[in-house]
Amino acid sequence: MTEQRRVFSLGELGKTVPVATADGALMALIARGDSSAFSGLYDLTSARVYGLVRRVVRNPAISEEVCQEVMLEIWRTAAHYDPARGSVTAWVLTIAHRRAIDRVRSEQASTNRDQAVGRQSVETDFDQVSDAVTSSLETEQVRRCLGSLTELQRESITLAYYGGHTYSAVAEMLEANVATVKTRMRDGLLRLRDCLGSEGK
Amino acid sequence: MPPDVHTLTGPYVLDALPDPERGDFEQHLAYCESCTIEVTELREAAVKLATQVAQPPRAALKSAVMASLNDVRQLPPLIPDADSADDSTVIAPKRGFGRRGMLALAAAALAVATSGGIAIDQYRENSASRQQNLQIAAVLTQPDATTKHASVTGGGAATVVSSTSKDSAVVLLSGLPRLGPDRTYQMWMIDGSKTAHSVGLTDGSPERTTVISGVADKIAFGLTVEPAGGSTRPTEPVAALIPMA
Repeated sequence: MTEQRRVFSLGELGKTVPVATADGALMALIARGDSSAFSGLYDLTSARVYGLVRRVVRNPAISEEVCQEVMLEIWRTAAHYDPARGSVTAWVLTIAHRRAIDRVRSEQASTNRDQAVGRQSVETDFDQVSDAVTSSLETEQVRRCLGSLTELQRESITLAYYGGHTYSAVAEMLEANVATVKTRMRDGLLRLRDCLGSEGK
Repeated sequence: MPPDVHTLTGPYVLDALPDPERGDFEQHLAYCESCTIEVTELREAAVKLATQVAQPPRAALKSAVMASLNDVRQLPPLIPDADSADDSTVIAPKRGFGRRGMLALAAAALAVATSGGIAIDQYRENSASRQQNLQIAAVLTQPDATTKHASVTGGGAATVVSSTSKDSAVVLLSGLPRLGPDRTYQMWMIDGSKTAHSVGLTDGSPERTTVISGVADKIAFGLTVEPAGGSTRPTEPVAALIPMA
C-alpha cells in the first residue's frame, strides 16, 4: 500500500491536511494482516479502550465483551483508517466509545432504566474521575484542563462522555436548557482542545 | 439546516446525539468541510478523557482477541470505481469520511468557482454521479487548477476549471436559455492550430457537469448552438469562447 498522500490546499478553503506518517504506516501494516503490528496497537491502546468501555458500560463481563468487539473491529476495518482524519488513538477510542454507547443505549431501551439518578450522579461523576487519576503526565494534564472548564461545561461533557447520556438526558439531569447544554458541550471541548494544545506534549 | 447545526459538533463528538440526529448530522458533515475539521479536532481532545479512566483489561482478553484474528476477514481499502483507479494518488483521502469529505470539498469548490450559481444537489448520494464527482474532485483539487469564467451570448455563463497536470477540465454551465428540440449546445476544445474538436453535446442545464480529458494542448474552450445531433464544425458566431492558455 502506498503511503504517499497529498497535502492539498484549495484556494480560499486552504485547509492543509497534515499527514500522520507513523500512524498511517502502522495501520497499513495491520491492514495487510500483520498481527504483530496489531499486537503493538493493542498494547498501546487497550488500557484506555477497556477503561473507557468499563466506565460507560460498568458491568465487567459486558465491558470485556465490548472491548473484544472493538479490537476485532479495528483489525477488520484497519484499511479504512484515514490519517487525514485524526490520530490512530482517536480513531480507536472513537470506535470504542461509540460501541460502548450503542451497547448501553440498546440495553437502556430494553430495560427502560430508571432515569431518576439526577443530581446525585452528577456530583459523584467528577469525583470518580478525579479518583481514577494516576501519575501519568498526560492524565495530569487532562485533569488540569478539565479543571479549567466551567462547571456546566465540565459536567455536560463528562455526563455525556463517561455517562453515555444524550444531550437531552444531560440537560434534564443538570436542569439546564437543552440548547445551552449543546453549546456548552461544544465550547467546553473547544476550551479543552486549546488547553491541551497550549500545554504541549 | 437549522442555524445552530454547527454547535452539534460538540454533542456529536461526545456521542451524545440520539440516533436519528446522529445520522442527520453525519449527512451534514459530508457537505460541511469546516464542521468535519472541527469534529476531527474536538475528537482528539475528547478522547483524551479516556486517559482519566484507563484501566488495563485482564491478560486473557488479549489472548482471546489475538486468537480470533484469523476468524475475522479484513476489509479491503475503499477505492474509487475501477476506471478512475489511476487517479488514486490524487483522490487519496478516500477512506472513511474521506470520500464524502472530498465530495463536500468538490461541491464547495464548485460553489466558489461559480459564485454560488450552481445547484449543489448534484452531489447528493447517488452512485451514478459518484464516479463523475470523483473525476471532478480530481481536477478541482489539483494545485495547478485554474478557473476561467465567461458569459454566454444569449444568456448564462460558462466556467472552465482546468488542470494541466491532470490533463483534464471541468465545464460548468449555468443560466443558459433552454433550446428548442431542434437545437443543442455543443462544446469544443480548440487546439494550437485553431482546429475545434467536439467534446460533447449538452442541453445546457446546470445539473450537467462535463469532464473533459486531453486538454493539455488546447488553447480554448468554445460553446456553440448547433442543430440537434451536433455538427462536425462549430457554427459561428460562437456563444462563448474561453481562452485556456
